[in-house]
Amino acid sequence: MDDRLALKAENLKKVFKRGSEAILAIDGISLEVKKGEFISFIGPSGSGKTTLISILGCLDNATSGSLAIGGKTIFSGEKCLSEAELTKVRRETFGYIFQKFYLIPTLTVYENVVLPLAFFRKPGASEEPVEILRLLGLERRIHHRPAELSGGEMQRVAIARALVNNPEILLADEPTGNLDTRRSEEIGEILRVLNAEKGMTILLVTHNPALAKIAHRTVALRDGKISSHGG
Amino acid sequence: MAKKKKISVSEVAYKNLLRKKTRTLLTILGIGLSAWVLTSLFGFNRGYEAALNKDIDNMGFQVLLTAKGCPYEAATLMLKGGTGLRYMKESVLDDILQHPEVEKVTPMVMAAVFDPNKGESGGMSAYLGVDPTTYPGMKSFLKFKQGGWFTEAEALEAVLGYEVAELEQREVGDKMLISEKNVELSVVGVLLRSGTQDDGTVFLPFRTVQRLFQKEGLVTAVGIKVKRNANITELENKLYDLPDVQVVSMAQVKETIMSLVSTARMMVFSIAIIAILIAMLGVVNTILMSVFERFQEIGILKSMGAMPWDVFRMIWTETVILCVLGGGLGISFSLALSRLTDFLIRRLLPYTPTGNLIHISGQLALLTLMVVMGIGLASGVYPAWRASRVRPLESIRSEGE
Repeated sequence: MDDRLALKAENLKKVFKRGSEAILAIDGISLEVKKGEFISFIGPSGSGKTTLISILGCLDNATSGSLAIGGKTIFSGEKCLSEAELTKVRRETFGYIFQKFYLIPTLTVYENVVLPLAFFRKPGASEEPVEILRLLGLERRIHHRPAELSGGEMQRVAIARALVNNPEILLADEPTGNLDTRRSEEIGEILRVLNAEKGMTILLVTHNPALAKIAHRTVALRDGKISSHGG
Repeated sequence: MAKKKKISVSEVAYKNLLRKKTRTLLTILGIGLSAWVLTSLFGFNRGYEAALNKDIDNMGFQVLLTAKGCPYEAATLMLKGGTGLRYMKESVLDDILQHPEVEKVTPMVMAAVFDPNKGESGGMSAYLGVDPTTYPGMKSFLKFKQGGWFTEAEALEAVLGYEVAELEQREVGDKMLISEKNVELSVVGVLLRSGTQDDGTVFLPFRTVQRLFQKEGLVTAVGIKVKRNANITELENKLYDLPDVQVVSMAQVKETIMSLVSTARMMVFSIAIIAILIAMLGVVNTILMSVFERFQEIGILKSMGAMPWDVFRMIWTETVILCVLGGGLGISFSLALSRLTDFLIRRLLPYTPTGNLIHISGQLALLTLMVVMGIGLASGVYPAWRASRVRPLESIRSEGE
């Protein structure tokens, strides 16, 4: 794999079984993502955006096809990494942001942000996430609990948590789905800065056309296939 | 911004328990109650036997000879006093002393009369006649609060146990009347509390009781002190050759009483097991519910790099915290409420010795804590295993089980 690539997926297929019915959620998608690239995935509900990003983010396996991340084969044909190996890839490579914030209500903002370090600290990752908290405007909120924050602030905490281990790739699945326009713009700006200034590779799933526009490239999906690439 | 510490898995586990405070509190209380029952039961096992041994040791003799009757009556007579008294001839003393195993003997004669001034409607007053030349030597642990033993072998004098003196508000120099006999006794001594049945006894000189109650030449019981290293069983067998006597060894007394107590102990033990099982189910239920409620959150933890073992450890730690707190609470309960437990057991059992029935030591507290921890660790395995098996994507996509 070209070492300028962050990940490379070939002919990905994902079939879900619902009773006796087989649903083809991803139908032969191939994709190359360069290091430092910002890609947004758009498409109607059920088009396969979240399924695709979950496979690319090692949260799920494809039914067939292959995926390599940073030169390491995640799955190819019948071969697939074990759950423990996948966890290692996840924690060393990815940061995840979801539509729901999934913050632990009994922990403070600071504790939520440093929580991933309780399980794993990537070599070179900052012990003190001061810069991240400042970048996200959370330095005055570190002692607050999630219930005391606005939706936008909670999402910023979730972003800080995703960044604490200095990931190479940030996966954001509808990160503004629960936010109003102003907060959505704030989150969009944060993602843009992370990509532009930190060189972070970002894969963004969104329904929001304005948010999708900040990416370098937009991939539109329909019925599990890529319907168009936009630059 | 001040430098902060990294959060640990144990800290996360502890804070997780604060989410549903009432549920956590009730679970801790359930474990606490079980630990209380368990500690009290262990404490009772040790305390009852120790108290019984102390009572028996404080008898000052190893074998008691009484007139023939039920062995349990004899035991009760020795330990608590009693009515329906039987008597033996005093000459039995010479027969006993012939045996080489015998070091000393002390005769006792008991008499009881109805006292119309006792209580609201009168009651029985018992007097134990003891030999001032032999009895104090055998009961050397009895110490006086005031005065001392009798001045003469046939004096009209009384020595009062601590509780009798307190109850009747008497001290040395006071007079007391044996109502039925119209005889006045002088109180010459008041004993310090001994924690035995002697606290509730009125002692008179042996010959005085014989004379006042027309029991000349008769004794109720003979306490026998056996020589060191002598074979007590062999002596008991020889004493059985004496006519119409009953030999009660302290080992026998202990065995009889312990067998009576074992039924009650089994009952308490069964209750303890049920309480522990209920507490265990409570722990499993609490932790499992908490796992299901946090299904998506656990998935997120795994997506951020938590290995199955990390999640297992976190959930298991929650269980351990619950059990340590519950165990600590239960042990505190058992220490703080040991008097109440003692009182309840005394009401339940047919006979209880005079000392503390519940003996809780540091070692016992530690043992209970370890048992509770063991139960907690076992209870936590399934919920922790369930949590560790959560797959990130499935949990994130789910709306909670």
